[in-house]
Amino acid sequence: MSAALSALRGLAAPGLLLALPAACLIWAWPVELHGWRAVAIVSAWAGTALLVGSTLLMVRAARLAALFGGLDAQYRWHHLGGTVAYALLLAHPLALAAAAWQESPRLAWEVLSPWAQHWTVWLGWAALGLLMVGLAATFSLHLPYRRWRALHYLAGAGVVAGLIHAWTLLAQPGPLALLLPLAALALCWRLIGSDLGLAARPYRVRSVAARAAGMIEAVLEPCGPRMAVSPGQFVFAAFGDGPGFRGCGEFHPFTVSSIGDDGALAVGIKALGPCSRHVQGLTPGVAVRLEGPFGRFLADRADGPQFWLAGGVGITPFIAALRAGPLQQPTTLLYFYRSAQDAAYLEELRSIAAADACLTLVAEAAAGPPPTLDVRLSEVPGLGARQAQLCGPAALVEAARGALLSHGMPAAAIHFERFDFR
Amino acid sequence: MRALFLVSTVLFWIVVAAAWVSALRPLAPAPSDVSAEPRYVLADIAQHGSVDDCWMAIDGVVYDFTAYLPEHPTSPRVMAAWCGKEASEAYHTKTRGRPHSSYADGLLPAWRVGVLAAEP
Repeated sequence: MSAALSALRGLAAPGLLLALPAACLIWAWPVELHGWRAVAIVSAWAGTALLVGSTLLMVRAARLAALFGGLDAQYRWHHLGGTVAYALLLAHPLALAAAAWQESPRLAWEVLSPWAQHWTVWLGWAALGLLMVGLAATFSLHLPYRRWRALHYLAGAGVVAGLIHAWTLLAQPGPLALLLPLAALALCWRLIGSDLGLAARPYRVRSVAARAAGMIEAVLEPCGPRMAVSPGQFVFAAFGDGPGFRGCGEFHPFTVSSIGDDGALAVGIKALGPCSRHVQGLTPGVAVRLEGPFGRFLADRADGPQFWLAGGVGITPFIAALRAGPLQQPTTLLYFYRSAQDAAYLEELRSIAAADACLTLVAEAAAGPPPTLDVRLSEVPGLGARQAQLCGPAALVEAARGALLSHGMPAAAIHFERFDFR
Repeated sequence: MRALFLVSTVLFWIVVAAAWVSALRPLAPAPSDVSAEPRYVLADIAQHGSVDDCWMAIDGVVYDFTAYLPEHPTSPRVMAAWCGKEASEAYHTKTRGRPHSSYADGLLPAWRVGVLAAEP
């Protein structure tokens, strides 16, 4: 894929977040209003449009994610758009109060005081309160996933309450006639299509094998149309019920570790949370729903000599690429794992390296960002001319990125995808 | 983004608290020409909340629009929704963020019946 197309994809999400507020402000620009009242109008429209843009970027669909340059990029813009929208919407009642302050401080308080108002204004306050709680949960990274998700849904309710507040206050709906259905569609798609799995494809577990301590590999066979997946991509999977197993039914992302000619996919599942710990007891015959595929990791691996770095379960996309056939480019794979029990696929990797002259494997036990990283990098021949593909814990990826830059590798040659979709 | 969320949330509540504290201070004496007018609180205005008896408060002034409602250019439903309420925001933002015209401003005094007093 050309660099120009990649750059265009990178602009799609910010373009959406700029276009929606711009269109609304062109329509609603307060030409005859000045001062704080004009600020109130501008902040309300810009915040509302940005909030709807952010809601659209929350939709989890493979084609949409590809359009926006990947699910990780899409979600980053979703977070940025939502947070800026929230700040703008907080400014709206404050600007109205500031305008009233010019009359009297008491009038300013009556503008802010919900019990001096009626239900349409209460809806606006409810929207701000729901967004406040939803965003507070978003930024509470230590919340358990299920509680985090339940609280984050409140932000979606805040979007609906805010749009109804605006709709009921305005004599003419104007851009709201577009924003309200767009937001409703996006929320319905996310809730019904993604989270309840209506848009997911049915698969069934064919086999399960332990690959390391607290990590299994499950082979999933299609029960209907198969998914076209490339090595390096991941899917969202929700494991249901089957013989001797009751699934948690939640969708979680898992990287594909193998792609069969018959449409079967293997995924690596590391026990990282309550659901993935439970899935370690998976049995053949369990029904699975899959969404995806997502991601472009390793998509450009044929472009030149490669340097691959994997940490722990981050080895999964690389084993998928190696299982897909002999390498086309000289490749050095640096694989760090905590201990011998955690070294998933190590024997298989050694066998592939022995058979494929293009692959140089360096495997090393290390807890956390390894102290030998700099030494190992200096041992890679022609490192500066290679394309680096990094996959592993965030701390390792960040340390490796800094080390690669200090070894003279251009930033554009360093590729990684974030795998935390909160 | 986390910093933007925290800063905007804290600033918001500081301003809201400041507005509340300021509203607790005793009112300055009203100018004599205004104090001579009848004074109504929002609860008084709420008792005139129908198309047959339609009062509104706009920018601290109370108006009786009952006789004017049928003459309003847009659907009377739009204006009737604000009967019995504080309607400053609706008056100033009308549609597309535009305020009412200066012509409309000129019409207002004809319907003035008093001034808005703060809640006791």
